[in-house]
Amino acid sequence: MSSRRSRIAAWSSLVIGGLLASPARAADIEVPGTERAVEVHGFVSPGFIVTTGNNYLAKSKRGSFEFSEVGINFTVQLTDRLRTGVQLFARDLGPQGNYSPKADWYYLDYRFEDWFGIRAGRVKIPFGLYNDTSDIDAARVPVLLPQSIYPLYNRDLLLAQTGVELYGRVRTRSLGALEYRLYGGTIFLDVATQSTVPPQGLTNLEFPFVAGERLMWETPIEGLRAGGSLQALRLDASFDLPNIGPVGASLQGALWVGSIEYALHDLLLAAEYSRWIFRLDSSNHAIAPPSRVIHERAYVMASYRINDWFHPGAYYSVLYPDVENRSGRAAQQHDVAGTLRFDINHHWLVKLEGHFMSGTAGLTPDLNDGVPLDRLERNWGVFLVKTTAHF
Amino acid sequence: MRAIAVGRFVLFALFALLVLVTPTHVSAEPSPAFVVIVNPQNPYLALDRSFVADAFLKKVTRWPNGDVIKPVDLPPRSRTRARFSEQVLKRSIAAVKSYWNQMIFSGRDVPPPELSTEEEVVKYVLTHAGAVGYVSGDARLGDAKIVTIR
Repeated sequence: MSSRRSRIAAWSSLVIGGLLASPARAADIEVPGTERAVEVHGFVSPGFIVTTGNNYLAKSKRGSFEFSEVGINFTVQLTDRLRTGVQLFARDLGPQGNYSPKADWYYLDYRFEDWFGIRAGRVKIPFGLYNDTSDIDAARVPVLLPQSIYPLYNRDLLLAQTGVELYGRVRTRSLGALEYRLYGGTIFLDVATQSTVPPQGLTNLEFPFVAGERLMWETPIEGLRAGGSLQALRLDASFDLPNIGPVGASLQGALWVGSIEYALHDLLLAAEYSRWIFRLDSSNHAIAPPSRVIHERAYVMASYRINDWFHPGAYYSVLYPDVENRSGRAAQQHDVAGTLRFDINHHWLVKLEGHFMSGTAGLTPDLNDGVPLDRLERNWGVFLVKTTAHF
Repeated sequence: MRAIAVGRFVLFALFALLVLVTPTHVSAEPSPAFVVIVNPQNPYLALDRSFVADAFLKKVTRWPNGDVIKPVDLPPRSRTRARFSEQVLKRSIAAVKSYWNQMIFSGRDVPPPELSTEEEVVKYVLTHAGAVGYVSGDARLGDAKIVTIR
């Protein structure tokens, strides 16, 4: 516990130090003998979650403060075309994270031209409109992005990959602009920080590959963009099960999402529809027979900034973890959410958010005393308070 | 003779009418809310609004001649910045801040420098060849060049 407290104190002092050092802008560190500077940015984002009916993300029925993130990053433009950066990140989300610091992203980015550049390192995965910015509370209205497409539980799985990304953007005179991102690499997953109870007998877990693309068209209609993302991945796991012995399992996934967003002046409208297709195979079909499942995920979202300090928003999100079985509370989750965002100033904000949930597909038995999903409360609520300071 | 007298009277009447309808003082053109300025070495006289918007959001990083674009902003509380943001970027300053938070914390890019005063913006534009900035219409520009936004 003291180690956890010391981690929180260290992170907080680092970021709050940055805020105090330069309240008006990024804290720049000059590089001696050059015009260049290391730009330093950071955020502290503590939160509180309380739910009715079921535990969600944390032991939340009794209320939980295990809903916080903190990060600090350093970026330097080495030449006109070459940039490098690193972000350290820690979070506490129920049983996950526990403020263990990790390199969230780090990269070398060489932009040959605006239409072609290369990033190498650990880079955020572009999937849909908001995946690569999904843990940036200050950059959006909702506390929780629609969990059907941006599940917090899968943050470490879907947020970043270690490998290479090609990117670019081309603007035409009359057809708007086209932005592309292509990537390929692997994902390093720390099983110890993923769940309260690691799968029984798990001895090894690795991603041979993750690859994908995002293509986004900025249409000639000001503020309207539309696009699609694809991702393919493979996860291999090894188990040593009592009385059975070693078992190997392989999960192949193909994920796609179609996206549309209209953002003009103070209005934001967005909608996305997605399907995630997974195939499971194993070396022991008696234990784990081959199977195929298709998830269906979608949401619509709207927000409008009333003035400098008040920005409300709402969304409806739906998740079906198996399109061939949509009946029963465990086979679906509908989420109607409303958020009030208050910007105290340009570096500090507070959010209040409420959700009405119907269905239990996004829950886990682990957090609910092992009770199966089809026996948890069908209708339940989530209330969140989040405050974020950033520079 | 009578025709000449009538002609002189008509001319006098027209002159009198012109004097009456002309304001006693000619007011100066009101200053524009902002002007976009570039370094005097910059060869461009007019720019598309979408190009300027892309430059300030760093979606384009080079002038058509290959030089690096160096955009520079005023502080978030500046009224000049608010007007520039609404008219050129088509977004409020808060929306632009959200955009830059996305870029900063996902490792994509960092925002243009924010300078405290219009004098500092003019000085920056004059000392950086690829610079582009904006100031209020009545700011002292020195040798900085105004470009027309199409």
